[in-house]
Amino acid sequence: MIILSRWGFARPPILPFLSGSSRGYATTKKKVIQGEEEWETVIGLEIHAQLKTGRKLFSPASTSYGEVPNTNVNLHDAAFPGTLPVLDLHAVRLSLITALALNCRVNPRSTFDRKHYFYHDIPASYQITQHYNPLARNGRLPIIQGENNVKRTFDVGIHQLQIEQDTAKSQTVGENTLVDLNRAGTGLMEIVTEPDMRSAEEAGAFVRKLQGLLRRLGSGDGDMEKGNLRVDVNVSVHRHGTPFGTRCEIKNINSVRFLQAAIESERRRHIQHYLTSPNQPIKQETRGLNELTLETFSLRSKEEAMDYRYMPDSNLPAVVVDPIYLDKLRNDLPEMPWEVIKRLTETYGVQKRDVETLIGLDEYNFDGIRYYEDVIGVNGDKKIAKKAMNWIVHELLGQIGKLPPPWSPTLVPSTLMRDMILLIEDGKITGTTGKAIIKHLISTSSSTSNEEVKLEEVLSTLGIEINDETSSGGGGIEMQKLCEQAMANQPKSVVDYRKGNEKVLMRLVGEVMKLSKGRADARKVKEVLVELLK
Amino acid sequence: MRVTNSRLQSLAASFKPRTSDVHPTPYSWINTSVPGSSTGKLAGRSIAIKDNISNEQAPTSCSSSILQDYNPPYTATCVQSLISEGAYIAGQTKMDEFGMGSQTTHLPPFYTPIHNPASPSPDESLRSAGGSSGGSAAAVAEGSSWAALGTDTGGSVRLPASYCGVVGLKPSYGMISRRGVIAYADSLDCVGVLGRNIDTVEQVFNVISQPDEGDMTCASSATRSIASQISQQHIPGNGIEGFRIGIPRAITQNVPPSLLDYLKGRGAKVDEVSLPSINRALPAYYVLASAEASSNLGRFGGGWFGSPLEREDAREGESGEERRKRIRTEGFGREVKKRILAGTWALSADEFNNTYLKALHLRQLLRREYQTLFRIPHPLSSPGRISNDGVVDMILHPTAIRTAPILGKGKEAAKGSNEYQQDLLTVPASLAGLPCMSVPSGKGSDGWPLGVSLTSQWGMEGLVFRLGRAVEEWARGL
Repeated sequence: MIILSRWGFARPPILPFLSGSSRGYATTKKKVIQGEEEWETVIGLEIHAQLKTGRKLFSPASTSYGEVPNTNVNLHDAAFPGTLPVLDLHAVRLSLITALALNCRVNPRSTFDRKHYFYHDIPASYQITQHYNPLARNGRLPIIQGENNVKRTFDVGIHQLQIEQDTAKSQTVGENTLVDLNRAGTGLMEIVTEPDMRSAEEAGAFVRKLQGLLRRLGSGDGDMEKGNLRVDVNVSVHRHGTPFGTRCEIKNINSVRFLQAAIESERRRHIQHYLTSPNQPIKQETRGLNELTLETFSLRSKEEAMDYRYMPDSNLPAVVVDPIYLDKLRNDLPEMPWEVIKRLTETYGVQKRDVETLIGLDEYNFDGIRYYEDVIGVNGDKKIAKKAMNWIVHELLGQIGKLPPPWSPTLVPSTLMRDMILLIEDGKITGTTGKAIIKHLISTSSSTSNEEVKLEEVLSTLGIEINDETSSGGGGIEMQKLCEQAMANQPKSVVDYRKGNEKVLMRLVGEVMKLSKGRADARKVKEVLVELLK
Repeated sequence: MRVTNSRLQSLAASFKPRTSDVHPTPYSWINTSVPGSSTGKLAGRSIAIKDNISNEQAPTSCSSSILQDYNPPYTATCVQSLISEGAYIAGQTKMDEFGMGSQTTHLPPFYTPIHNPASPSPDESLRSAGGSSGGSAAAVAEGSSWAALGTDTGGSVRLPASYCGVVGLKPSYGMISRRGVIAYADSLDCVGVLGRNIDTVEQVFNVISQPDEGDMTCASSATRSIASQISQQHIPGNGIEGFRIGIPRAITQNVPPSLLDYLKGRGAKVDEVSLPSINRALPAYYVLASAEASSNLGRFGGGWFGSPLEREDAREGESGEERRKRIRTEGFGREVKKRILAGTWALSADEFNNTYLKALHLRQLLRREYQTLFRIPHPLSSPGRISNDGVVDMILHPTAIRTAPILGKGKEAAKGSNEYQQDLLTVPASLAGLPCMSVPSGKGSDGWPLGVSLTSQWGMEGLVFRLGRAVEEWARGL
């Protein structure tokens, strides 16, 4: 029933697809629309991503977030008479690498145009954008099955990528409209996709992947909460095998969750429409999303569409990109998140979600990935690759948890981590010792830098000796001796165990740990004891 | 040629710049500060500034009610250059509102008019100084300023220069920074220079013709040195020997035969040339200039800057949109509103292809025609080349179709589309972005000044000055 009220349909009984009790569709969405699988949803996105340059696209004013209103304003941002735009070439470079990472064809000559309308948020009464010759066209971003729970592997085509100015922020307070020019003139990339997505999850997968791409390139922070990445979504619905339906656009969505909710709401609204009025196309319109009800609502219809009177902006020369420079940018593109996931999982057999955790440590410079690769060694020590992942992602990050200090590559230096893992693997120290080392380094990091710390120093600080006598696996003669000693010390436990009281095994393990001063690997001790007690 | 006639002498008192609520004057504001001692290439020179060029010292209103009392918070690059070379800014000069007009008659109602100071006798009817830089031309002609800056979008420096009997240069597009120049049509606007003679104009031009990182359309140092290299290699020396001058066949107005004889005598070759697109230049110009104006003037009325009128709060029960409509309706004059409407129409979705794009195409055609005509290669399109396939170095034709028109509503006053016809001879060089200078060429049969225009390849101001001096020498002998 909740869903029906969203659509604004008052009378469920006339709807032929509703069957059984109303309880059914309130709880299980999928069953709401009978024959739902007959319908296909077609989704295209328009994304506005703020360029991470620190300054405005055509003026030197700063773009820092959360400042006092109207303090980051250059005369050009306020459209003072006689001011002229001066294009920030750094913004162009960031847009170019984004276009290349999206496999776009970069336009050899792109130009700037003016889009005209009168509103408080646009002091010049026009926005500088790229309407006739955008920076790049014809790209694609592959989406892999499983990403954001999508059910297929496919490409999202990139129709075009253009550079443009952001508007000011305006808000109505009482009878007044107040304008903050801090955002006015900030550089944006508008990325327009082809209508290649077929579900809310696919659209969500694209946006998430794009966020990772922007951060990796350093061209944007993809922060939807701050409005640094905003999404407009076009949705249409049609029956399989029939032409595309009329599309509606939902504007200014500021989270992936809202994006998916908007698509879902819109999809249902369209299907409802076609079921009740099969011969009437749905009204083409621009809609918004009510973030409380997660329903879309009409903003304006196509008939009210504005004529933007696009005109070339003669104050800005054409952007002509030297093919040699473009090749250099292409060659210098960093490894993308999905590429590193593929490489590490395929080469070392590590878990995808662990690689994702490493990426999450630093989405811009991949410091986490670089740290991992430093630990496993230059050519990638396959032997310790999985162990290292475990030590880093589960032990180190696990111990850090959500408390300070945050992770950094120097918290437990990569060479120390590597040496430690190698010793553990050789049975020269135990896993428990390893955990203690990490704990120690985390606790001392606030007072001293760990950057230069060597493993030997930590071991001596902790009073741990390297067990050179043990052979591989830590289950060698030394371990066996300790276990035999423990059994000799606790004859009653041996008897009880052999009678079937397996709980006493832990008492023997404890004895070994005491004898080894905590350096023995409890798991291995247990194995050896079980063997000896047979 | 100097404008020293009886009328001017009788008005000796007006040789000092002045503003007035009663009397006609070229100035909308005068600098009352006492000029201090200064050094530099323009030390001690007083220069007037057209009222659409931002000057921190002065209100810069474009002779529009909508910008009345607007004090720009910065100074245009070209004005800064003048000041740093020691020039004294004499005042701001009246203009046709936002540069739209050719007689400096499109003024706010509270402005006194400008009269052309080049009258041959005191009994003459009052005549227009031309426009839109009429104030700047009149200030130079009456002698109250040594030189003046104007702006030229379709002839706004050259036409008043011709009417007032002074030299007026519209440089190549992009030679002088437009930073601080309040835009009428960005792709056509050029800062121009007016002076009594070519030496003056050249001195001022050399000071303000500089690269500027604040204007992306302003030519770089590299481009400038290519241009000067081409100009030197092409026709070395200082005279006009070897100059090839073309007289456009399409322009029917006669050039004084004695001038052509004189130039030939100095070693130039004169031929007729064909520039058929010239006849289509005027409609193309009005479409493009109006379209750009409709865009550029959209910022006024939003309440961000400008006159008290523009900043006034919304009235009782008035929406933001209604407020903007009212301010724009009251703040812009008739001609400006006419062009904004025409330009808005040209850019509308239904008209764009058939109007704006066609005008752009005509502009392209005209540019190409000029390029095939010139022997000198374009410094931007083919660096390294010093010779082209064309036939001429310079194009020469009358600046205007007549002497200055009589002011007022009488039969002889130019109005409406007739006023546009005045631009017929000046807009082609604007559309093509070429340097063009009007040089006094004697008097018409009515005793009022005439001028000839010299147009050359982009960046060839040096050659324009050389030919201009020859015309000056000829005129001195008249």
